[in-house]
Amino acid sequence: MSSAQHSATFERLVQPHLDRLYRLAWRLTGSKAEAEDLFQELLIKAYQKLDDLVEIDEPGSWLSRVMYNLFIDEQRRFARRRMHLVEEGQLAGDGLQGFAGDERDNPATGNERLERLRRLDAALGQLSDEHRIVVLLHDTEGYKLVEIEELTGVPVGTVKSRLHRARTRLREILVADGTIS
Amino acid sequence: MQKSDADKQEREVLELLQDYPAPAPDRGFYERALVRATHEGSKRQRNRWMMTGFGAAIAATIAAWVIGGMLLNEPQLPEAASTIPGVTIALAEPRTVNLVFASAKALDSATLTVTLPDGIELDGFPGQREITWETSLSEGRNLLPLTLVAVTPTGGELLARLEHEDRDRTFRLQVEVG
Repeated sequence: MSSAQHSATFERLVQPHLDRLYRLAWRLTGSKAEAEDLFQELLIKAYQKLDDLVEIDEPGSWLSRVMYNLFIDEQRRFARRRMHLVEEGQLAGDGLQGFAGDERDNPATGNERLERLRRLDAALGQLSDEHRIVVLLHDTEGYKLVEIEELTGVPVGTVKSRLHRARTRLREILVADGTIS
Repeated sequence: MQKSDADKQEREVLELLQDYPAPAPDRGFYERALVRATHEGSKRQRNRWMMTGFGAAIAATIAAWVIGGMLLNEPQLPEAASTIPGVTIALAEPRTVNLVFASAKALDSATLTVTLPDGIELDGFPGQREITWETSLSEGRNLLPLTLVAVTPTGGELLARLEHEDRDRTFRLQVEVG
């Protein structure tokens, strides 16, 4: 297979999954810069494994698992160094700003909604990574429990327990700051 | 609190979570990422085969760059060396350079910024010219291995800037590609 054919095959296989993968990267990292790096690294790895990728029945699931493992490996690498990446482009700056633009027809409602989402963003930042990721994948992205098990390798029972604790903690934080009553 | 209140609050939390946005990528990001993946993926595969063919150890450490005497907690800090240390790396061949930071005491919340010259990348951070970490330093020597990859034959000066509270030091490493 020529280089051009390799590229065409690769693009055909990954293209249908790019949006979902980008969202997953964003949910895992919570920062635009890191999400883009993780997304890019996944595509590089996937291209290197193109011979395997063409044989896989569900490339979307496979790609998601590889991305999750890359994310975990990266976390461990920096933990070993007692370092972590400085957060850049926090959601409040990147995501919610764009979201606010959708509310131009009713600025008052939009601002109130944006403020509630900012508080949710801050509350999510108080959760552990494992709780934050589970609640975002399940409640925001609509992953099923079994899909989260397949993605993370964490048994469904543990996923359910983390989901319950994450929701409870979010409720406590958001009640305490008056976002919900 | 009554169960009905808790249920209502949980519903509100769920509604907020369902409303929680994820931004779309910048225009053209996917296209650029795909092009880079095919280019970088091919290159890494070639490098791997080449390394295997020669039986070379991957990521062999070729140079130890020791930055000594960086005592951030003392006012009479020694200046960074006037002679810039250097290292020569081969094109497209990952090489690990060890940075050693000596600190007189443990420091929390120090910020380390590595600025790379054009054509030199940090393995795992393709395309990034500047990488910043927040880090804690232990008392004594702190080792930071950086795996560098030359993607063009130009080389240049690598800067490592360490900041803690109102103090900072910048150290330089001349990277040649041979």
